[in-house]
Amino acid sequence: MHPAGLLFITSRLLAKSASAISILMDKVAIYIHIPFCLKKCSYCSFVSYGGRRDFIPRYIQALKKEISTRVVDNPVATIYFGGGTPSLLTVGQIRELSDWLKANFTFDNEIEVSLEANPGTLNKDFLSELRQMGINRLSLGAQSFHNDELKMLGRVHCAEDIEAAFHLARNAGFTNINLDLIYGIPGQSLMKWEETLKSAVRLGPEHLSCYLLTLEDDVPLTQSISDGILPLPDDDVACEQYELAEAVLSEYDYEHYELSNWAKPGFRCQHNLFYWQLAPYLGFGVAAHSFINGHRRANTGKLDTYLDNPFSIEEDNELDKTHEVAEATILGLRLTEGIDLKEMDCRFGDMFSKYKPVFEDTMGLGLLELAGNRIRLTDQGRFLSNEVFWRLLPDS
Amino acid sequence: MLQDNIRNFCIIAHIDHGKSTLADRFIELTNAVSPTKMREQVLDNLDLERERGITIKAKAVRLLYKSKEGKEYHLNLIDTPGHVDFSYEVSRTLAACEGAILVIDATQGIQAQTLANVYLAMDRNLEIIPVINKIDLPGAEPQRVLGEIESVLGYSESDVLLISAKTGQGVPQLLEEVIRRVPPPGGNPSGPLRALVFDSYYDSYKGVVLCLRVVDGEAKTGDRLRLMGHGTEIEALEIGYFIPGPKVTDALLAGEVGYLSTGLKDIASCPVGDTVTLSQDGAETPLIGYRPAKSMVFAGLYPAQTDQSLELREALDKLRLNDASLTYTPESSPVMGQGFRCGFLGLLHLDIVVERLEREFGLPVVVTAPAVTLRVTTTSGEVIEVINPTELPSPSKIAKLEEPWIKLSVITPFKFIGPLMEFIKESGGVYKNTEYLGEFSLSQQRVRLEYELPLRAMLTTFYDSLKALSQGYVSLDYEFIGYKETKLVKMDVLVNGVLVDAFSRVVPEEKAYQAGRDIVGKLRETIPRQLFDVAIQAAIGSRIIARAEIKAKRKDVLAKCYGGDITRKMKLLEKQKEGKKRMKMIGRVEVPREAFVDLLKIGT
Repeated sequence: MHPAGLLFITSRLLAKSASAISILMDKVAIYIHIPFCLKKCSYCSFVSYGGRRDFIPRYIQALKKEISTRVVDNPVATIYFGGGTPSLLTVGQIRELSDWLKANFTFDNEIEVSLEANPGTLNKDFLSELRQMGINRLSLGAQSFHNDELKMLGRVHCAEDIEAAFHLARNAGFTNINLDLIYGIPGQSLMKWEETLKSAVRLGPEHLSCYLLTLEDDVPLTQSISDGILPLPDDDVACEQYELAEAVLSEYDYEHYELSNWAKPGFRCQHNLFYWQLAPYLGFGVAAHSFINGHRRANTGKLDTYLDNPFSIEEDNELDKTHEVAEATILGLRLTEGIDLKEMDCRFGDMFSKYKPVFEDTMGLGLLELAGNRIRLTDQGRFLSNEVFWRLLPDS
Repeated sequence: MLQDNIRNFCIIAHIDHGKSTLADRFIELTNAVSPTKMREQVLDNLDLERERGITIKAKAVRLLYKSKEGKEYHLNLIDTPGHVDFSYEVSRTLAACEGAILVIDATQGIQAQTLANVYLAMDRNLEIIPVINKIDLPGAEPQRVLGEIESVLGYSESDVLLISAKTGQGVPQLLEEVIRRVPPPGGNPSGPLRALVFDSYYDSYKGVVLCLRVVDGEAKTGDRLRLMGHGTEIEALEIGYFIPGPKVTDALLAGEVGYLSTGLKDIASCPVGDTVTLSQDGAETPLIGYRPAKSMVFAGLYPAQTDQSLELREALDKLRLNDASLTYTPESSPVMGQGFRCGFLGLLHLDIVVERLEREFGLPVVVTAPAVTLRVTTTSGEVIEVINPTELPSPSKIAKLEEPWIKLSVITPFKFIGPLMEFIKESGGVYKNTEYLGEFSLSQQRVRLEYELPLRAMLTTFYDSLKALSQGYVSLDYEFIGYKETKLVKMDVLVNGVLVDAFSRVVPEEKAYQAGRDIVGKLRETIPRQLFDVAIQAAIGSRIIARAEIKAKRKDVLAKCYGGDITRKMKLLEKQKEGKKRMKMIGRVEVPREAFVDLLKIGT
């Protein structure tokens, strides 16, 4: 298949602007979903299965089938093994997948290859072999450094496991490690969050993702809250926790480059930048999402359906211009540096300039600010960003 | 058909006592509808009514029945509305009948409103056939209910039939009893036409369709006719009857029941209760007096989005095509924009209209606090009627203030009357009378309480509170009795300094502080946190009597975008945007429609 739509976009872009975004547009990011876990966490609404690990070999075969049929010409800039718990795979299985990708796609010279790992599932040999295989970024699902919180979240590891896993990873040669942390946990005080932050920072990871706990309707944690067993997290406390993260992490020289992401200079997650900049990405596996040739595609969310037919999809929609401009603006504003007004004007013309009143309104509300050629969320606006974003949606 | 072989009757029953099921059985037994096509409860028309289990619009169905003796009859079953707000429509239906089947639930006994309708039927000299229904249910107490019927209505055991409309038990005998007991229609077949309009509705092809009971003479297709009360001239474009689908015929004769389509647009020009006669050489006196339905309860209806007032007007126009008792006049409010002051028969009527606007027209509306008509005598001696609390003159200009009162009848088991009586008294009720229904041990005894009460007291949570205090074992009926002098003050509500006229209400002077605190507290719960602090105040004139503050929100963010699932994120934002559409802007403050609804639920 030839990405005609994509070529059109890129050639027009290149003619008018030679920005960082246009370079990403020629490439592709690959996401591989591994929907297996030791046990499902109490807050997790993603597609993952605790206790179906017998299906992993069949799943790998299905993935390979999907991958080889959906090849594109763009060189691959990043690969991301996400889940679920990708670290439940054996080294052999991970190698089988990455070899398969190499055989089917062309790769950039400097490629970022990330793998998500549960701190409770790692050992020295496994990590060394991963590193040697070319995995160069490890994302540890730490979530918290308090065992009571980890237990409430249904994590299978404890705080000590995180530190042990981190050191193992360093010794195995990982020089780019991320820790995922969660705040806004029921009953979590500002002080406990500060302790988690400080424990994380002490380890010195290159990247930190701090996610506000999202209470999805269909998860046990939400049920415990509505049953009154756990307290409802307080919005004001969550806001203070966010501000605390900003303060503590900037003190340790982490750049706050996206709403929920911090990195040491030079260590921003290249893979996620594809999402934020509406650049092409291919997702393989159950419930994986793709955006390529102007199409948004979601694979089936059911493991059995996927195993039967790895080309089953839940939806595949062409993103029309009005939605594309909205998404590009919304996703771009998630980045701390915001969006380049000139660049967006070139890319979308009138469709973008119609946002002027919205920008003026939200600047008046103190949510957005101008910085040279760019427009971005203010410090206050970041935690209220939905108030900006919904105004940017096209009228349906 | 000979008048002797016609029977016109209706069914009087409380909600859920089984009227519709019984009608279904009748239709089945007379094969008016083939069982395969039998949709349960064929007489209820609108979906909404079906869902709520109530019947608003009366229809009539002609059943062809062969009696045990082998004679053929036309049984005209006229359906009656079953809610307290529609008692006028019930009385018109009764006037079209010679008999009524009184259905009483064997598990529940006589209810207040049933009683009110039975009395109406007795006043009109209808032959009443009392029936105890649902005798197949485990909780049935036919003997106890029989006792109530004997004591309250004076029937003896031999007059009463025991049936189960659900299983069909006793229903064939009931049909025989209808023929035996209900007299055939009188009336003069050769006199000038007189036909009673007992219902009407709007059909987009046929225009206004009148449901008629011909008393004297006959109505033929093409006749030039006149409504004696309202004076409207009509032409009988089509004449027919329902079986239960419409069936066209040439003429309706004396004693018969059917419909007549007029092609007219305005249903108000053909009021229920009016008498149809010939344009030329018509009858001289109408059958009964009629009055146009009078709205008792008023509320402002505003589109949730200010730019939809035109759509709201069109929707109300369309609703009124089928609902002559709905009135509306445009009004404008500095905060709410363009809307309508609407008059309703009662609160259920209001509920139904609001629900239909949203469901059938996709028009979410904001309802302001319902109010009654206040009669003000000003210091200059002028008498004015105020239907909108914001138009109440300042106290210094009011010489006398009067509000409508009702006579309230409540039926409930004896064991609940303590808390019930206390609550009604607190609501401003004046005790009049207690009647014991039959003679039973106190644990089984039911009583009917009679009170006089300001109609205003019933506007909010009155009925809900009665139900809560009696575990649901309560029924009520009311009628308007006149105006009485009262002491009321107007209380205003300010949201961030903006006076919200839609929240203004009239409250008894001595209850103003409590009402102010309740309202301010409720708004604090229902208005979401905004991007800035919001102050809520209740005031009488310029005096602030209650205050609360809603702190600015600090969090409204989607933390994670997992594995590139941007669609999901966008859907969440779409939902948020949709939610904003349902908000009403008051100044810069977004107020959800629920806030208006919740305020209505605060009693004063």
